[in-house]
Amino acid sequence: MVEKILGSRIAVWVDDRTHLVRYIRFHVIDYPTPKNLNFWYVFGSIALLILVLQIVTGVFLAMDYKASAVSSGGGFSIAFDSVERIMRDVNYGWLLRYMHAVGASAFFFVIYLHMARSMYYGSYKKPREFLWLMGIFILIIMQATVFFGYLLPWGQLSFWGATVITDIFGAIPGIGDWLLQLARGGFSVGDPTLGRFFALHFLFPFLLGVFALWHVMALHVAHSNNPTGVDPGEKNIIPFHPYYTVKDMFGVSAFLIVYAYFVFYHPTGFGLMIETENFNPANPMQTPGDITPVWYLTPWYEILRTVPNKMLGIVGMAFAFICLFILPWLDRSPVRSARYRPVYRSMLIIFFASIAVLGYCGHHPVTPALTLLGRAAAIIYFSFFCLLPFIHKCEKTKPLPEDIMT
Amino acid sequence: MKVMMTWLVFLMWMFVGLGATQAEEKIVLKTVNITLDQVTLKKGMSVFADTCMGCHSLRYMTWKKLMDYPEIGFSRKEVDELRDGAPLNARIMTSLTAADAMASYGIVPPDLSVMARAREGHGAYIYSLLTGFAHDPKGRIPDGNYNLYFPGHNIAMPDPLSWLDHDPEDENELREQARTVSSFLVFVGEPHQIQRQATGRWVMVFLVLLTIVLYALKRDVWKDVKHHK
Repeated sequence: MVEKILGSRIAVWVDDRTHLVRYIRFHVIDYPTPKNLNFWYVFGSIALLILVLQIVTGVFLAMDYKASAVSSGGGFSIAFDSVERIMRDVNYGWLLRYMHAVGASAFFFVIYLHMARSMYYGSYKKPREFLWLMGIFILIIMQATVFFGYLLPWGQLSFWGATVITDIFGAIPGIGDWLLQLARGGFSVGDPTLGRFFALHFLFPFLLGVFALWHVMALHVAHSNNPTGVDPGEKNIIPFHPYYTVKDMFGVSAFLIVYAYFVFYHPTGFGLMIETENFNPANPMQTPGDITPVWYLTPWYEILRTVPNKMLGIVGMAFAFICLFILPWLDRSPVRSARYRPVYRSMLIIFFASIAVLGYCGHHPVTPALTLLGRAAAIIYFSFFCLLPFIHKCEKTKPLPEDIMT
Repeated sequence: MKVMMTWLVFLMWMFVGLGATQAEEKIVLKTVNITLDQVTLKKGMSVFADTCMGCHSLRYMTWKKLMDYPEIGFSRKEVDELRDGAPLNARIMTSLTAADAMASYGIVPPDLSVMARAREGHGAYIYSLLTGFAHDPKGRIPDGNYNLYFPGHNIAMPDPLSWLDHDPEDENELREQARTVSSFLVFVGEPHQIQRQATGRWVMVFLVLLTIVLYALKRDVWKDVKHHK
């Protein structure tokens, strides 16, 4: 059927003028793919789907959302009222909002698994370093996007989260104050902040879209890695369509079951995706008990918080990302997949555990025990990158398979 | 195997570390059976009108919505009795002004539209609060302002159900009032929650069937790919 459509006279007419059919063939039909990609390789497709879902639901939400922190009486604001109006009076507004809020958490969940896959099978290594760089860049844009978006409901955590995070800019020596006021549009978080955050929250997903497409195009030049990390060879290559189109459709559908379960039965994600505290309207006069970001930002927030000095905390967080950026050059082993690298594999598992612990600590109010635990996890996080350039010297790798299918 | 064991020990050590940080004391709320049936919601609304509306508003509810949401399903006549001359399209607002509230209680009573969503424990929190008035064991906070479930225990709201020192024979009725008004506020916090779950059932059934079909399709397409393992 696909051949029939792509070979039709209209398709040929369009292709003669824009090469559209050629692009489709190159990227989704003929794209040569290793036979042995397992379920870990489905998260890229799922992430692309979530991006589309977020943009579609977001555009519809923007039709009824009003970015104004102006008071509407009783401690409420026009922005908070408009969100509740979407939840109550807009047809299926509740569905749009929950899809969008659960979608944000799902997006990060899927992207973190996608990155873990890349690290485990060594997909960041030559010749795919640029793919990895773009991926980390996409992650940072995503984090900025959710940060802007989180202010929009103008609840207590929206307001105080934005206050705490923009405060970070203020700690930068020299230009700190100027940056802080630029980010806030004034001396404190207020109506101008909401206006600019809304505009940027609308813009950034389109940047994400552009970079995600570029990411996919770059993948199709470097070609997919596979769980063995060994080059597949001609005989183990199959075309993307129909093999991976159906496999990804199955994966996407399985993912949607979990996604829909949360949207319809636990839309606040047990207070993790839409936090209970944020149903209180923003009140600049009253600080909530503990101000913590949503779960997907907590590991980075904990690195920032666990360093006693604020400026050094920023440096620590920046380094956490810089380490990720330079990962392909830190790792010097010629073997890609962790399947054949016992030392790297162990280190990686500890590294993932340290991120989980950092996330846990960052989500809870500061206690002496948690601070200690957070510091230990931060040290483990950084020692992974510090040890990486040296382990290939002492690591005894297992023999690589001749054929990726064995 | 050895490596796996090391990981297990390491992860367990980490979680023991986490457990140790959880020692902090937390107030345990009462358990309550929140139900969103019509009888409960109607009773809850009348309790709200009698006891809460003197001070609290529902800015996101109108009198008309009490008829329009089929989950509550008040008749026009019932709403007319409750609204006491207020316009049908008006929000359900208290007649207490902010200035009077400040003079009497030192605080403006919060709007209750999303209160059930904005507190940990949700409906159980409201129920516990309403049935949580007690005598301060230290004798510092006056009766009517001491509440077992309010953070810091000193609440400005004076015992709305007269729970403190109630007659034992009134206990069941007071509990029922607290339960129905808590259920009502859970409903008002998210009026489409019943519709959401009802829609969800069909979506889930559809997605499970779709996934099964796609899995079968995937098996069929992949059967000619050689797996020599």
